[in-house]
Amino acid sequence: MDAFEAAGVALVALSYDEPDALADFAAANGITYPMLADPDSEVIAAFGILNTLIPEDDHPWYGIPFPGTYVTDADGTITAKFFENSLAVRASGAQLVRAATGEIVELEPARGDDAMVTAVAAFDPSPLAAGVQRDLLVDLAVPAGQHVYGLPVPDGMVHAHVVLDDGPWKVHAVDAPATQRHVLAGTGDELQIYPGSVRLYVAVSHNASERGDITIAGEIRWQACDDDQCFLPQRQRFELPVHATGANWMQPEHRHEGENFVAHFRKMEARRG
Amino acid sequence: MIEPELDTFNVALENGLNLDSDGHAGPYANGVGPRRNPRGDFPSGPDIGTRLPDIHATDSTGAPFDVHEYRNGRPLAMVFFRSAVW
Repeated sequence: MDAFEAAGVALVALSYDEPDALADFAAANGITYPMLADPDSEVIAAFGILNTLIPEDDHPWYGIPFPGTYVTDADGTITAKFFENSLAVRASGAQLVRAATGEIVELEPARGDDAMVTAVAAFDPSPLAAGVQRDLLVDLAVPAGQHVYGLPVPDGMVHAHVVLDDGPWKVHAVDAPATQRHVLAGTGDELQIYPGSVRLYVAVSHNASERGDITIAGEIRWQACDDDQCFLPQRQRFELPVHATGANWMQPEHRHEGENFVAHFRKMEARRG
Repeated sequence: MIEPELDTFNVALENGLNLDSDGHAGPYANGVGPRRNPRGDFPSGPDIGTRLPDIHATDSTGAPFDVHEYRNGRPLAMVFFRSAVW
């Protein structure tokens, strides 16, 4: 919440709960941003995101949305959406603030090299709850006169991307800058290129099957070319530590404590019955 | 309109928990109760580039609340979450 305030970004949450349930939840968890009640799922349905896989008579589950977040600019235009298939996965505050402000985090270059592309990856090692996404940052420093590739890429060439080793983690989305169209003089083939240095945001979550200090391992892959030649595809491994914890809703400090929540649940079971 | 398809992939563990295809554990089997997640594409509402529709609801005190009015010229993160009760 502090990060949202500091960035000047408004934060509002909405669910199908009753106002008194939201008030108890906000009090129990120290939430100060507005929580809106949509107990008849009218707003959820109007947005077209009602979870229609839940039968109408299955209480209290019926009425929830496919959960997700919209980010708007200062004019109220949607500039980004964060929706995931799994209820267990959600965007992090840091991702939302970045989407709203375009804030750039500077990484230290891995090594100086003015002739070849260099790559560096970074990941915030602080505790990360299961299902919460965090961006793995990758910078490719591209020397003047060279470029690397985005998608789509022709067979046999390698676009700039990240591949994680098998592990208790998953890549959800990659946020990369827009590419530029590049036409090869000889063949007229069209390629999509990054003409300069490029930052990739790779959204990663873990599933808590391994907890404590874990190491997310993988590699950055790319291929660089200049106007005369293409260099061999490159791979650079990374091993990035992070402290993996269970899901937020399983943590003691996030429990719905007190008898009120039992009462809220019973009321939800009955309210549409 | 996208017709979402139910994801029923599930691995039941001996401890009573159930794993989904991403390895997330939960008390409900995937595809049952609240754990009815879509597989593949599903509706995610208004498109990027369009204005966020007006949202009129009540806040946790029961008072009327207008999201765009509250935003008051600021960028916004509008979260639709499952429940504060479960």
